[in-house]
Amino acid sequence: MKKTLALVLFVFVFAGAAEDSIPAPDFNLKDIDGNPVILDSLLAKGPVFMSFWALWCKMCIKELDALKPAYDEFDSLNVNMLAISQDKERAVPQVKPFAKSHNWKYVVVLDPENIMRELFNVQAMPTSFIISQDKKIVFTHQGYKVGDEEKIIAKMRELFEKGGE
Amino acid sequence: MMVVKRILFFSVLTSCVLSAIDLRINGANTGGFWVFTDTALQYKEHFEDKLKLNGTYGDLSLRTVFFTWFPSLPASLVESLTYVDYTIAYRKTPVNIQYGRFYTTFGRGLCLNQYLDEDFRVDNSLSGIKTEIEIYKSKFTMLIGKPRNIFFEENKYKIKNDLTDQIGGVNLDVGLIPKTALGGRYVRINTRNDLDPSAFTELYGGNLGASLGPFEAYGEYAMQKGCYPVYGGRLSGKGYLTTASFSIPRLGIVGQYMDFDSLGFPYGATYRYNEPPNPIKAGIGVTRGVDEKGYGGTITFTPIDILSGEASHNRLFTHDKNAGVYETVGKLIGHPNDRMEILAQTEYIIRDKIEAIVLSGQTVSYKKQEVKPMLELTYDLGSFYVEASFEMGRYTVEALALKSTYMDQDVSIAVGKPEFMVLTLKYGWRDRTPYWLIDKITREKSWPLVELSWDISNRHNLRILAGAMRGGVICTGGVCRFEVPFKGIRLTMTSLF
Repeated sequence: MKKTLALVLFVFVFAGAAEDSIPAPDFNLKDIDGNPVILDSLLAKGPVFMSFWALWCKMCIKELDALKPAYDEFDSLNVNMLAISQDKERAVPQVKPFAKSHNWKYVVVLDPENIMRELFNVQAMPTSFIISQDKKIVFTHQGYKVGDEEKIIAKMRELFEKGGE
Repeated sequence: MMVVKRILFFSVLTSCVLSAIDLRINGANTGGFWVFTDTALQYKEHFEDKLKLNGTYGDLSLRTVFFTWFPSLPASLVESLTYVDYTIAYRKTPVNIQYGRFYTTFGRGLCLNQYLDEDFRVDNSLSGIKTEIEIYKSKFTMLIGKPRNIFFEENKYKIKNDLTDQIGGVNLDVGLIPKTALGGRYVRINTRNDLDPSAFTELYGGNLGASLGPFEAYGEYAMQKGCYPVYGGRLSGKGYLTTASFSIPRLGIVGQYMDFDSLGFPYGATYRYNEPPNPIKAGIGVTRGVDEKGYGGTITFTPIDILSGEASHNRLFTHDKNAGVYETVGKLIGHPNDRMEILAQTEYIIRDKIEAIVLSGQTVSYKKQEVKPMLELTYDLGSFYVEASFEMGRYTVEALALKSTYMDQDVSIAVGKPEFMVLTLKYGWRDRTPYWLIDKITREKSWPLVELSWDISNRHNLRILAGAMRGGVICTGGVCRFEVPFKGIRLTMTSLF
């Protein structure tokens, strides 16, 4: 049993390590207005940026506030910008008023059962990802430090210059 | 037979790997090693590692979690915890079938709420089978499984529930009418303490929600029918919650009202398979659905780009108002210019008779008032930034004829370079410890802390921490998480792949 387990682990890791960028898992959730948010539909428009956040996470809110000025630029370039709320059911009623009051234009996605967090293996809050149009995770970033937004913006610009890959 | 099984297994595995165009793999690992002292000043060690591997092949997926925790104490005193969880899922619209370990919440959690919260180290799962069907903008869920509730308290992982319990349930969420949400659910729970197989407990519930422009309203009702565990007698409970909100750009308002009477399940246990929400932001409950009534309101606003804020007042108490929690929070965040952020915040919390201490051999409930102002300044210097904060807490505790006041203070400074490293230095101290509260609030009078968070790459982070923490939600090194009181050295490595 132990040998089989070790082999499964090896094959998984080996297969995963074969590529530099990781294939993005599919997802199908709803935003705060009840609209479906499906990865394939988003990628038909353009690359996807998403940041995992929660109402209790000060750093997550700082990151999303810091990226706010770049929203219009990337929206005009067809980049989808998502803010994935990890708040549990008890806090869900607070999410929409909070996002609106911060004047966020991101698509705010509700994920109270942590489906997205498990799919993307998020280990720390906040964590952000950029998914290219060929459905690869081309950028991953854990945590937020003042100035990290510049790196995220530069990566998105680079991706767009490549034509969304 | 064994050989045939192995050949079959490796054939499937090989075919998956060879047709790697359809095979998608990702994973993550978090490992930690701690050396710390407990309240008796004994040195202890703690090793934990959680490896997650997800594989997707077409419409099939396999999610595995390998978890290991080894404390240093002998197994007779504290048992280690090791498990391998797996979930096999088939997802193809309109069907989603999961076999193995899964999480689920029906409605807002009045009837069933088995959830994972890794930031707060809560892992309440079900092991069994769950089927979801989505048609006509509606979702129907059926499940059956055995619950496992894992908590992390006093630096120990504990499985808190009876692993022989069994839960079955159905849930229907209807979204046929635009801008409305209608739902109904049924949950049946059998426990070892049921008097006989027919003395199970049932929970029924329903919800209705609607939105119109910036307004949203939601109401949920639930009812519990069953038997009191062990000694019998009919158990009957009910509860409801209502929320209303108003959201426009730069302004959000939320109001909540709830009333729960004998809705917490299992009755009398320290763990729950349902979890009725409450309005207290500090995460404090009174009886968690057994005898609770509460209300609250929050306003968040950004009147101008350089200023945002929040004001909140929430109350939760027993029906006779003998015990309760009262909370008021105010927060202002200013950005005088692109490089500077100033955060000023005050919390005022009263906990009345919801916790107890032992005085002269008697267990006595007490009242605690907390006033916690905080000021934080962040300045971006271009290639690096500096963050300085000061927070304090003034606590007044009353029990019987005793009344004492003490103060906690914390100063911290963090220097960080984006995408590379953050160094945090923090020092906390307490002016005095009332003698009769020593067992409750520890003998510690200072909490020095040094933490280094190093982004080895975008996908790998190493965190080294040395010193002491009071516990609670802590944001250092660019991430926020919940910490238990701690004194020692800790190394944590997080990787995504």
